[in-house]
Amino acid sequence: MDIRRVDISATQGESALHRCRPGIKLVAFALTLSAVIVSVNLLVVVGLALCLIGVMAAMRLPARPMLALAAYPGLFAALFAFAAAADRLTGALVVAKAVTAGLAAVLLMFTTPYPQVFAPVQRFLPPVIGDALLMTYRSLFLLLEKFGHVLIAARLRAGLLAGSPIRSAKAATRSLGTVLLYSIDLSQRTYDVMHLRGYDGRLVVSPQPAVAPMAEVALLAAAGVVVVTAGLWRLTGSALAPFAWIPLGIGLVALIVGTVAGLLTAKETR
Amino acid sequence: MSHLHIPDGILPIWLVSAGWLICIVIVTVAVRGVPPEDLRRRIPLVGAVAALMLVAMSSEIVPIAYHINLTVVAGILLGPWLSVPTALVVVTVLAMIGHGGVTVIGLNTIVISSEMVLGWALFSALVRTLGRPRVRIAAGVATVLTLAVTTTMLVVIVALGGPIAASRESGAFDPAELRFENPFAEGVIGNIAFEEPAAHEEEPLQIARFALLVYGLGSIGWIAEALVTAGIVGFVSRVRPSLVLDGATQQERVLPGDEGVHG
Repeated sequence: MDIRRVDISATQGESALHRCRPGIKLVAFALTLSAVIVSVNLLVVVGLALCLIGVMAAMRLPARPMLALAAYPGLFAALFAFAAAADRLTGALVVAKAVTAGLAAVLLMFTTPYPQVFAPVQRFLPPVIGDALLMTYRSLFLLLEKFGHVLIAARLRAGLLAGSPIRSAKAATRSLGTVLLYSIDLSQRTYDVMHLRGYDGRLVVSPQPAVAPMAEVALLAAAGVVVVTAGLWRLTGSALAPFAWIPLGIGLVALIVGTVAGLLTAKETR
Repeated sequence: MSHLHIPDGILPIWLVSAGWLICIVIVTVAVRGVPPEDLRRRIPLVGAVAALMLVAMSSEIVPIAYHINLTVVAGILLGPWLSVPTALVVVTVLAMIGHGGVTVIGLNTIVISSEMVLGWALFSALVRTLGRPRVRIAAGVATVLTLAVTTTMLVVIVALGGPIAASRESGAFDPAELRFENPFAEGVIGNIAFEEPAAHEEEPLQIARFALLVYGLGSIGWIAEALVTAGIVGFVSRVRPSLVLDGATQQERVLPGDEGVHG
């Protein structure tokens, strides 16, 4: 998981989703997640996943890292499904749910800067959790950079190649130990700076102003349609089961339209 | 395998809700276990250690898709009280990048914080028993035992959930063959009128198969995690022994002028 790639996309992207307010995106994410949770039909879930990939393509978001991140929970879900699912259909549904929920989460995280994601919920959390979430973000990139540097230095010093995995593992472990020491010192320095700046036990994140009201309405409407569709298929049970190809078809159309829209936008930009 | 990589919508609502409830209770108790002034000072430490765990988790052992968690190391550094909010922070960040379900954050926090607290307790007990020169062995043994316990917790949670809470509605899918039947073959109307969704009997959860897989794959991870934990603890104990023997919370200095507030 390349967390730096997530941050670059979230902070530097300019799509319509980037311009929506984080609170609106969180509501849309919650609705999409609810749709995944209530869905028991594989085709409905796959249709939703295709719609999300279509949005990704239309917004010209970095598809490769996003799909890789969303597929990762699918791998573990496949293990879980292999071990615990009663039949192959249920197993496929478990994997599809994992990947679709993952897609919804990465869409949120790739279009919203990390502090803004947690800002709306921070006020409801105890200060230690809300502030620690923000401190984690700050520390994470510093530690990732430090770990990369220390690892390169350790490998250069030891003359390590890919063919010596045990020595490489030892170097990586020592590097993690060095980063651990650095992280403790970093936390002390951070507190010193916060104290000097008058930290009073609550970090405040400035809310993002509304700049794309139409996009926000469209996003909420789409998320509403998704959750209603999923709920309808769940509530009606077997009555709508033969029509499950319809959401799948809509998903395919959304994927094609999104891809074409993304390509056209790319052409115009050039 | 130390935390649930179970997606949203698989575990029953009662279990997910119970997870959240227990999570809120243990986080509240843990936060109240630290004096408020100390807690304020420790927030950057919680953030830094959570970030350290995420850095370790971003390094995967590719063939088995296993990643190091550093939960026992974090537990040793933070002690029992701060481990719980740190676990919640880590699990929340992971869930937001699709690594574990959002609804299972509560259950995952219970598992991860148990791992951190148990790791800390076992390490402290083993260091007292084996002596300070054997911190590496203490860390390795504590990690293996801790991961064995938390993996069992994982199996128990899945067993409590019962059969996967997903029905087998298939629409045009044949669940027995996993074959897609063309809904247009006899016309959509005919499909609606005559095709009944396949009926399925509720099958019992294959918990033995699940446990076999989790313990089998998990034990490889326990050894990898134990070796890394022992290596890190051994390295830190040579450079700054008090950090692993007393914990990071005993390391912080008081700034001049800060004594009145925190002294």
